[in-house]
Amino acid sequence: MSKRELAIMTKPQLKRELGLLRATMLGVGGAISAGGFATIGYAAGIAGYAIVPVVFVIGFISLITMFSYAELGTALPLAGGEYTFSKVAFGGFVSFLTGWFEWLSNMFYTALSAMGFSYAIAYIYPQVNIPFIAVLVVIIFAFVNLKGVKETGTAETIITIIVLVILGVFVLGGWSYTQGTQPTHPPFPVGIIGIFTAASFLFDLYLGGEAVAASQAEIKNPGRNIPRAIVISGILLIALYTSVIAIAVGVVPPAVLMEQVSPIAFVAEQAMGPVGGILVTIGLAIAGLAATNEAIMAQSRVLYAMGRDGYLPKMLCKVHRRFSTPYIAVIVCAVFTALFTATGLVNFVVYAVNLGFIIGFSIVNLSLIRLRKTAPHLDRPFKVPLYPFMPLAGLATCAFLVFFIEPSVIVLGLELGIVALLVYYIRMVGYHRIRIALGGVSLGLGVFAAFAAYLLGTNSIVLHDVAPSVSTLIFGFLIFISIVEVLGGLLNILASSK
Amino acid sequence: MEIRKTLLKIVGLMQAAIGGFSIVFAFLAFYNIFSIQTMLGATEADIGFYLSVFVIVGILSIISGLFLLYEQTRVGNHD
Repeated sequence: MSKRELAIMTKPQLKRELGLLRATMLGVGGAISAGGFATIGYAAGIAGYAIVPVVFVIGFISLITMFSYAELGTALPLAGGEYTFSKVAFGGFVSFLTGWFEWLSNMFYTALSAMGFSYAIAYIYPQVNIPFIAVLVVIIFAFVNLKGVKETGTAETIITIIVLVILGVFVLGGWSYTQGTQPTHPPFPVGIIGIFTAASFLFDLYLGGEAVAASQAEIKNPGRNIPRAIVISGILLIALYTSVIAIAVGVVPPAVLMEQVSPIAFVAEQAMGPVGGILVTIGLAIAGLAATNEAIMAQSRVLYAMGRDGYLPKMLCKVHRRFSTPYIAVIVCAVFTALFTATGLVNFVVYAVNLGFIIGFSIVNLSLIRLRKTAPHLDRPFKVPLYPFMPLAGLATCAFLVFFIEPSVIVLGLELGIVALLVYYIRMVGYHRIRIALGGVSLGLGVFAAFAAYLLGTNSIVLHDVAPSVSTLIFGFLIFISIVEVLGGLLNILASSK
Repeated sequence: MEIRKTLLKIVGLMQAAIGGFSIVFAFLAFYNIFSIQTMLGATEADIGFYLSVFVIVGILSIISGLFLLYEQTRVGNHD
């Protein structure tokens, strides 16, 4: 990438309205999700009491890569996060693929957060229609994001503070409960495979720093605030999750936790009575809302960045005159997310989210290493300590965790990669060539329809239980289709290239 | 140029309509409305394949028709 292109890219168009507090709350709120807490029970069932050190270690693994986010986020304070980093470092198909998976991961994460909210509500009101409520949440927060960053940031900050207070009450209540009881758990593990599988399953717990990076174009004084927000939110999350998990397995055995729809609410009810269960449910529901809010913002900024750079239609980078938000991107994200949320698939989504973000984390570390080599004089207000060991360690741990992802999700990832290749090819190859290709396809369809008509006319194929008059009608329809498709094909092939 | 414009419009609309019909037909066949599965002699194992083929053909036909309609507006603007 030339210096001129880099200079153009460093001119953001979104307004910088988020200070350190709001950026930090974005990082914390973006990670705390009802969906994440719902999956803790399943992970505890896999890893047993070893879940506590697992959560702690994952936090530090994430923090390693968060330093890379901090360096690249301050050096390239543009919308897009990992996508922008890989665009500058690699360009071409690699950056498109990064943005593609980044968008999909954020979309899955939005769906998961919205469903997490619904599951939290279902703990108190079992009769609620979970997918319907989840879709409603997506739509509401799409409107919030259309309105503006300042409003989004304010809502995020308030919601996150409330959730932190409630989780703090949970930790204190659970701790005082465990003081009065005898520990009965055996020493650790269920098995080393179970521990690594739980680690790959819970990877999405610490994705807050990624949310800060995706919104870096809207953070005030980015050179100072981005690394601080990323690191502070990372440390807060490690402390929070470790204490919550430790209390959870201290009160309820992992095998019992695994069976609960809302494990943390169940633990709160055991330790603090029904009031505790309701309080934590409210907290988790609010956390689900916060994560949904942030994830819509993050995924819309990725689409904005890809539209800005020409990988996707330019209309995606249109900014609303009054609200200064990428409103087209927000609407597109909301539509796809709502459609996916309506399916109600949860556990599969968790692995899909983790795979996508593991790919994203790997790209970030690779981009850091590459830019240190190809752009050594790039202005870096913050630099990763212990280079190159930190990014290499981040890369190695991500690669290792991929082996413990559910195999069907790996297959899904490959399929989505193929779709990305097709989308990239269609986008890059040009309008005229696409028309010629479609013209060829239409010609082929026309010829096939004519052949089918011939077979029907010569009774080489027979339609069962169909009157002769209807068969004649179908024959005529096939001839009509053949003529239209051949004509359409020729018109597309012979179209002007101007 | 008028003939070309008219031809683009008619063929484009027809192609798009055929594409839409193909997609509708695919779901009619999948849910065996009007005993389409019996008519085609399709087994339960085959019906997923039929659904995929008709839907893909339908989408391609619609896109091709839309390209022709777009070309027709461009021809109109250049007149």
